[in-house]
Amino acid sequence: MTGPSAIASKAAELRDAFDRARAIPLSTAGVEQVEGLLSIRVAGDPYAIRVSEISGLANDRKVVAFPSSIPELLGVAGMRGGLVSVYSLAALLGYGREAGQARWLVLCGAEESVGLSFSDFEGFFTVPSTQVYAADKRDAARARVKHVLRAADLVCTVVSIPDLLESIKRRCDNSRPSKER
Amino acid sequence: MWTFGRKIAAGFTLAFLLLLGIGAVAYRSISSLANTSQSITHTYKVLEDVAEVLSLIKDAETGQRGYIITADEAFLEPYQMAVAGVPSLIKDLRQLTSDNASQQKRVDEAEFLIAAKLAELKYTIDIRRKGNLEESAKFVRAGEGKKIMDSLRRSLDQMDHEERDLLKQRADEAAAVAGGAKSTIVFGTVFCLLFVTAVGFLITRSLSGQIGAAVQHVQSSSAELQSAANQQASGAKESSTAMSEITTTISELLATSRQIAESAQRVSHVAEETSSAARAGDQTVQKTLESVSGIKRQVDLIVTHMLDLGKKSQQIGGILEIINELAEQTNILAINATIEASGAGDAGKRFGVVADEIRKLADRVGGSTKDIRLLIEEIRAAVNTTVMATEGGSKAVDLGAVQFAEVTAALRQIMELLGTTTEAAREIELSTKQQATAVAQVNAAVTDIAKASKETEVSANQTLQTAGQLAGLSRELTRLIQAPANA
Repeated sequence: MTGPSAIASKAAELRDAFDRARAIPLSTAGVEQVEGLLSIRVAGDPYAIRVSEISGLANDRKVVAFPSSIPELLGVAGMRGGLVSVYSLAALLGYGREAGQARWLVLCGAEESVGLSFSDFEGFFTVPSTQVYAADKRDAARARVKHVLRAADLVCTVVSIPDLLESIKRRCDNSRPSKER
Repeated sequence: MWTFGRKIAAGFTLAFLLLLGIGAVAYRSISSLANTSQSITHTYKVLEDVAEVLSLIKDAETGQRGYIITADEAFLEPYQMAVAGVPSLIKDLRQLTSDNASQQKRVDEAEFLIAAKLAELKYTIDIRRKGNLEESAKFVRAGEGKKIMDSLRRSLDQMDHEERDLLKQRADEAAAVAGGAKSTIVFGTVFCLLFVTAVGFLITRSLSGQIGAAVQHVQSSSAELQSAANQQASGAKESSTAMSEITTTISELLATSRQIAESAQRVSHVAEETSSAARAGDQTVQKTLESVSGIKRQVDLIVTHMLDLGKKSQQIGGILEIINELAEQTNILAINATIEASGAGDAGKRFGVVADEIRKLADRVGGSTKDIRLLIEEIRAAVNTTVMATEGGSKAVDLGAVQFAEVTAALRQIMELLGTTTEAAREIELSTKQQATAVAQVNAAVTDIAKASKETEVSANQTLQTAGQLAGLSRELTRLIQAPANA
């Protein structure tokens, strides 16, 4: 069991680390190219989402169901003073809609914001760009997979958000009435 | 019926009497022979003295005539010897014939004649010495001396005849006595031999019959005695063996009794010690009961404090949930800030660094809250376990109190039973000691009996040996008695 002295020393360590980070001057010379990724789980499988491909992260947002012919669409939710349509990431990746409440939401899309919900968020991490490989054709054919992350202790699929947005856009376009075309 | 000794004594007495008679007869004959021989010797002495007297007188006469013829003194020596020796001879003759009156008379006569002759001789010698040869020759021729000499010869011849008659008579007597003694010895010896043989035959026959019967009886008795001794020896041996086994068994019984006595003594001591221990235990139980009540109160207090601790832990958990939520929101804000910073290009890099640090801080806070949550869960689990254990301890204490009461009652019952046990152990110890003493006495008695059995066995063996020797002796006697008959 951890004692009070251990907790106090851990707080002191956090404080020192923060101060040290602030004291180091920003320098990019000699630093290799890294990518920021979010580690999530969809239906229990590990996935990663590039931070550069999303515009925000939120949780516990109330999603109001919205009737639609698109089964992946869960509803709409209020985000940053506006409404965004929320889609089930699991459904988009081919798992089907998750049974429980997906409390995590990533916001993506520049012109038309879209929310992708998932159940488990594990954290943020950065990896060298050299550890992100292009997926072979068999994986790519499965579900919007273009890259795979192979780190020392982690192997997971990198979800391609632009492809998902493109897919959503196509579905939305297909589901609109023909007279509007 | 005469006994063996009486018969043998009678036989030997008769033989002794016969031998005594024969001896007496022989002694008498030998004594008579000795007397006769002595008388003969006496007679020969008389005869010798008579002849000696006559010879001396003849020598004196011869000397007288030689002197008369020669006038030489040397021829007088025989005369002088006769004058000197005759009186002693006459004296001897008188003594030798003192028991014979006629011989005494003849000795007196011869003495007279000898004196006359010696006077005549002296007279003639004196004449011759005076030188009168003629006169002396004349006197000799006158024949006076011859007459005296003839008378003397006659007297001495009579004495000689008398003695020779006595000698013949005594020789006849000696021959008769010797013949009688010879006959007595020969016939007596033969008779004695026949008598001894007859008596020996009769005694042997009688003794053989009686001893044979007695020996047969002794033999049969010795056989019976041998058989009885055999039975007695075997019985004594069996008895000795049985007594040895009994002695061994009683020794073991004695040792066991002593062990039981010692064990009973130890039981008594142990029971006393146990009784004192039980009393001490009762006091301890009383004290423990009071301690248990104190423990129960302390346990109740601990339960109350533990429940408070559990509530406080729940409150800490609630606060921690808020902190965790704040950390999660901070993390989200930091990620969003990172996203915004990356979207702002180079201008947002510094902001991105700050956002990254804030995110790391939020991550660490989240991790710490997870650790704290784990700690709180552990505390709550420990509190729950402690509460449950304490409640179990409280129940156990209650149960222990009840059981202590039962233990107290049981200890008191044990003390009462121990008192009874101590008394019983003392009685057992006393009884076992008495029993051990009795067994020791029995052991001593049985040891004596075993010793007596051993002695009886030895005695029976000796009796058996003696019976065997007796049987052998009776067989030897039978063989000695029956040997002549068989031969």
